Amino acid sequence: MASVTMSGNEETGLRVDRWTVTGWKFAAPGLTVLAIVMGIPLVYAVILATSSFTLLHPRVSPFVGFENFLSVMDDEYFWHSLWLTIKYSAIAVICEFLLGLGVALMLNRVVKLKAIYFAILTIPMAMSPVSVALIWHMLLQPNLGIVNELLVSAGLDGVDWLGSSNLAFWTVIFVDVWQQVSFVILILAAGLASLPKDPYEAAEVDGATDFQQFWYLTLPMLRPVATIAIIIQLINEFRTYDLVYVLTKGGPGVATDLLSFFAYKKAFLGLGINEGSATSFALLFLVLVLTIAFFRVISRRS
Amino acid sequence: MRINFLPSLLGGASLAALLTAAAPAAQADQVTLHALMEDVPETQIIESLLPEFEKETGIKVDFQKLVYSEMHDKLVTQLTSNESFYNVMEVDFLWAGEFPAAGWLADLQPFVEKSKFDLKPIIPAMLDLVGYYQQKLYLIPMYNYSMGMIYRKDLLEDAKLKAAYKEKTGKELAVPATLEDYVELSKFMKANAGVAGAAMQGQRGDPNSMEFSNYLFSAGGEYVDKDGKVVLNSDAGKKALGLYVDNIQHGVQQGALSATLDDTMRLMCDGKAFSMVTYWWMLPQIDDKAKCPNTAGKVALSVMPGGHGESGGWGWGIPQNQSPEMQEAAWKFISWVQGEKTSIARAMQGHAPVRSDTYSNAEVLKKYPYYKEAQDVVKSGKSFPIFAYSAQYEDVLGRQLSLAASGDAKPADALQEASEGLEKLLKKAGQ
Repeated sequence: MASVTMSGNEETGLRVDRWTVTGWKFAAPGLTVLAIVMGIPLVYAVILATSSFTLLHPRVSPFVGFENFLSVMDDEYFWHSLWLTIKYSAIAVICEFLLGLGVALMLNRVVKLKAIYFAILTIPMAMSPVSVALIWHMLLQPNLGIVNELLVSAGLDGVDWLGSSNLAFWTVIFVDVWQQVSFVILILAAGLASLPKDPYEAAEVDGATDFQQFWYLTLPMLRPVATIAIIIQLINEFRTYDLVYVLTKGGPGVATDLLSFFAYKKAFLGLGINEGSATSFALLFLVLVLTIAFFRVISRRS
Repeated sequence: MRINFLPSLLGGASLAALLTAAAPAAQADQVTLHALMEDVPETQIIESLLPEFEKETGIKVDFQKLVYSEMHDKLVTQLTSNESFYNVMEVDFLWAGEFPAAGWLADLQPFVEKSKFDLKPIIPAMLDLVGYYQQKLYLIPMYNYSMGMIYRKDLLEDAKLKAAYKEKTGKELAVPATLEDYVELSKFMKANAGVAGAAMQGQRGDPNSMEFSNYLFSAGGEYVDKDGKVVLNSDAGKKALGLYVDNIQHGVQQGALSATLDDTMRLMCDGKAFSMVTYWWMLPQIDDKAKCPNTAGKVALSVMPGGHGESGGWGWGIPQNQSPEMQEAAWKFISWVQGEKTSIARAMQGHAPVRSDTYSNAEVLKKYPYYKEAQDVVKSGKSFPIFAYSAQYEDVLGRQLSLAASGDAKPADALQEASEGLEKLLKKAGQ
């Protein structure tokens, strides 16, 4: 009622305020849950990372400031793990995106049995990474595994998939991509299905080839969905832990010693929950920077 | 109706409350102990005898079985909680410094004194390895997993191989007496016998650290000397690492750098390896016709060439974060399972005893004549350094061993780093 009596600008201003308040009211329950399940552990992790808390001396005092961060950064293997994680995540996400886009484009043209294809695609996604790693561990076992058995029966030499420091990194990426690519396919397929048909009809009338349609229409229109898929997958890849734990334990040498696994070892083998938390914050910081960068790219383009 | 409704309601509620309260009360009489156990034959042996314990004491014992690599984290999570779900702890010797140092385990001496439990029959080396920490008894040794060499007798007796070995080395084909002989033999078998010379568990961490320790002790090396000084980077240490790298690069199965105990066991059982440095109680399994038809009757056990292998063992502990009643029940179980009668019953099923009276028991020796060699393996074993950060040191050492074995680091540099890592962690632990 109040807005009726006000001038246009005031009316608009009041409406914005009302919408803002209503928006916050709707968001409040979700934000409260987030604060409890995310905020409290995060604050506790900050306390741990800046304290002398270890499993042998489980007390948060004295406050040690950035000492744990400096101690972690002083470890040469931290920098190795950090670089390896960046390399691993970048390669895995690029592979997942390219493969995912290719399969999603093919599925977009499929008319028959679409539901069956999608059902098959969700299987790896529905499996826990530990199960996936255990299955691939058995398949890739160099002496008794099926993969090498097939290679040998084809007259080739067996391959040391996880025991070679040159190959283990790529093998873990392969297993990761095998599991994660279906998620990218599903997101991109949903994005493709929601694209408007009119631009394509106009392009056909103008005589655009399939490639031109893909390059000038599909890709630009798919960009927001693709960026979201890339961000989600980047976050997933930065957190990779289970595959390394089951397949290689970070070896051979330090070939697969990703940052999440490094943080786990600091916390549970070294009993230093404080240093483990500090390492996790380095990971969080990296993910945050990349996420913000990607969101900026989306907002600028749009 | 209204007048009758309230008493009826109250009566019904009281009856329901009584009934629901009575059920847990009846269950409460039955004490159930929970224990997290490694999924190995030793656990299955004890599990088969649990009905007897329940019959004797009325206490039920529930085992949750897990692979070794998962156990430490799960136990630590329980030990740092307000009340541990597990009432009895199966503790590896590698954690026998860490858990007491953190104050997670109860001192068992009062329980021993109160129940007059006799510690004398327990092999002193096992009590030193896994029982005492800073002169206090926190664990009762459960079973040992000292390591020796299991090898194929049939390959050593093969006439063609004998001739070829003599021609190549000028020596007789025999059980190796030194570490150098062992690695030389391993490489020879790989080149001439169509099998891996050794099934090695080179995965980074516990597998390669434990395996390398056997090489170190066989070469006459130590991690720390009697005065607590780190002496890993000695001539013996260099020799041990050199031979370890040589064998893993030239004498073993493909994929050794990612192999665990299970992988080496399968390979040996399949008849695809000449030898493996492993826990002595693996012998009956590899010698079992039903499980390993390719190797049954063809394998034997010996002390690690050089005379000393890695000593290891598990112990029983009681968490501090338990009620006194549950601690008492846990002790009843520990004293039963490690008592003479149960120990012999376990040994008759292949248990790796920690009591000398079990090794010398006539019935046991009649069934398992190789327990004589097993006792030699146990007696001659030396220990990995046990302190608060033993588990972390396994990772530090394992990383360097893996780097050296994969050719990504020079053995001399890897040994230097492993030695400095040990010094750093010992200092951190205040030792």
